[in-house]
Amino acid sequence: MPLKPTALNLSRQPGAVAALRFDGASHHYGSYVAVDDLCLEVAGGETVALLGPNGAGKSTTISLLLGLLRPHSGSIEVLGTTPRKAVAQGRVGAMLQTGPGSGLPAGVKVGATLQLARRLYPRPAPFDVTVERAGIGELLDRQTHRLSGGQVQSVRFAIAIAGDPELVFLDEPTAAMDVAARRSFWKMLRQFSREGRTVLFATHHLHEADQIADRVVVINHGRVVADGPGAMLKACVASRRVRFVCERPDRAQLDGLEGVTDVEIHGHGVTLGSLDADATVRALVRQRIAFTDLEVTGAGLEDAFVALTEGGAVGRSA
Amino acid sequence: MTASLVAFGRFEVGRLLRSWKFLIITVGFPVTFYMLFLGNQSSGTLVDSVSWRAYLMVTMCSFGALVAGLTAGGARLSAERASGWARQLRVTPIPAWSYVVTKVAASMLVILPVMVLVDVVGAVFGGVNLSIGNWFGLTAVMWASALPFALLGVFVGYLVNAETAFPVVIALMFVLGYFGGLFDPLANMPSALQTAAKALPSYHNASLGVAFLDGQGFDAQHWIVLGGYALVLSAAILLKHRVEEGRGLA
Repeated sequence: MPLKPTALNLSRQPGAVAALRFDGASHHYGSYVAVDDLCLEVAGGETVALLGPNGAGKSTTISLLLGLLRPHSGSIEVLGTTPRKAVAQGRVGAMLQTGPGSGLPAGVKVGATLQLARRLYPRPAPFDVTVERAGIGELLDRQTHRLSGGQVQSVRFAIAIAGDPELVFLDEPTAAMDVAARRSFWKMLRQFSREGRTVLFATHHLHEADQIADRVVVINHGRVVADGPGAMLKACVASRRVRFVCERPDRAQLDGLEGVTDVEIHGHGVTLGSLDADATVRALVRQRIAFTDLEVTGAGLEDAFVALTEGGAVGRSA
Repeated sequence: MTASLVAFGRFEVGRLLRSWKFLIITVGFPVTFYMLFLGNQSSGTLVDSVSWRAYLMVTMCSFGALVAGLTAGGARLSAERASGWARQLRVTPIPAWSYVVTKVAASMLVILPVMVLVDVVGAVFGGVNLSIGNWFGLTAVMWASALPFALLGVFVGYLVNAETAFPVVIALMFVLGYFGGLFDPLANMPSALQTAAKALPSYHNASLGVAFLDGQGFDAQHWIVLGGYALVLSAAILLKHRVEEGRGLA
């Protein structure tokens, strides 16, 4: 597969109004740089996953997009205006990380909380529509402190979309959810994004990013290290593992083979990461390296993720 | 935006008035103490030229306001800020200042019925007899000058975390209550404590009520001290709010 960095931004349409734009924005906490000269543009209607390990700068990025934090340098635009104005106009919804707290007010029913959330926005979606979208019809008469982890997140999602926002930010929305809750949450979100809304969610669940998002933006140390559809990201880095057994493996020789990105040797067992497994196998034969038990497997997004965040930038890097 | 803020205010007041814990503490304390202390002095006793029954009603109005203000803010507010709800509100269209202003306003709104209830208890059980105008006047003066209690509760909620807020609230309730002369007339206290009381908002709030009843006019120092408390506490809350806002927390 050809690996042209420009091919990674398939969803970008020239001239389309960006839903959000980071232009060399940085933010630091004391001497710790959380977001470092970040450049990112998301078009209206895209569903984008912000993928990265803990401490990569995902939450800071979302806080900057909501105007909760200000960039120390660079600029950020949301829906053609400043983050604070976009929020004040009621065009943005968000589900933030809450740590151990539920993020919901105590001593009140779910229905009343959602009613309040609607009244805080100038053009809210009808109550029933939001209830339906978030699938919380059965929870409306429940007190907010009598909800399971998954139910809390559904209610918080309802609050995030109560104002019928054009743009939604979700910071690790499925944290504390079990598998079933997670599945129904993403189903809900996919339905919502199909209505033409822009969604940006942070996650460190690689499969979620891959399956839900049109586009995966990998960030680490506050910078974009990769940007593209999940499938393409996987193809970008050691997309195949080539395993075989070899009498006397020579690391230098193996490393020099066509397509090889990394070499692991455990006794006689050799695992090569390769961008082009066919070429690597042909090179093995050509160089008369005696191998047995050859096995070629695809690398998961997991491997791609590790490769990306550990070092080399791929795609449109900042 | 006004409609949003009204909705938010109603939501806050509704939550307070539906909270059994809040009602039992704020209504239970002043009413119980009124009934308990009523017999401490013989019915003919005059304190500051006001009958003991009326005097105690005034100080229990102050105490009720103090307890309501501290409880409405305090641990509730602290826990709510920790839960992430306060932050969620920050990403809705209502302005940043509206959260804290609504909290103070909601505290003031729930202080009023507490005072009225103590008035009713004073009238029914204490036999306090005032003209309609004086009932209104007394309550209005005491309510308006109870603003420092509402601010103090919100300040505690901003200053300390939910676990420490509870003991801090209890301590403030009894320090301001006892040393402010709300349980026992100040004249019965040693002179050092009498001097100390004059630094406390609880003393001045109750004194305004007593001054209203004895009809000899208000001493400006009461308003000055209470106004000073309101200003300092507002500034402290604002400062704390700004710091947290800068960190993306508020």
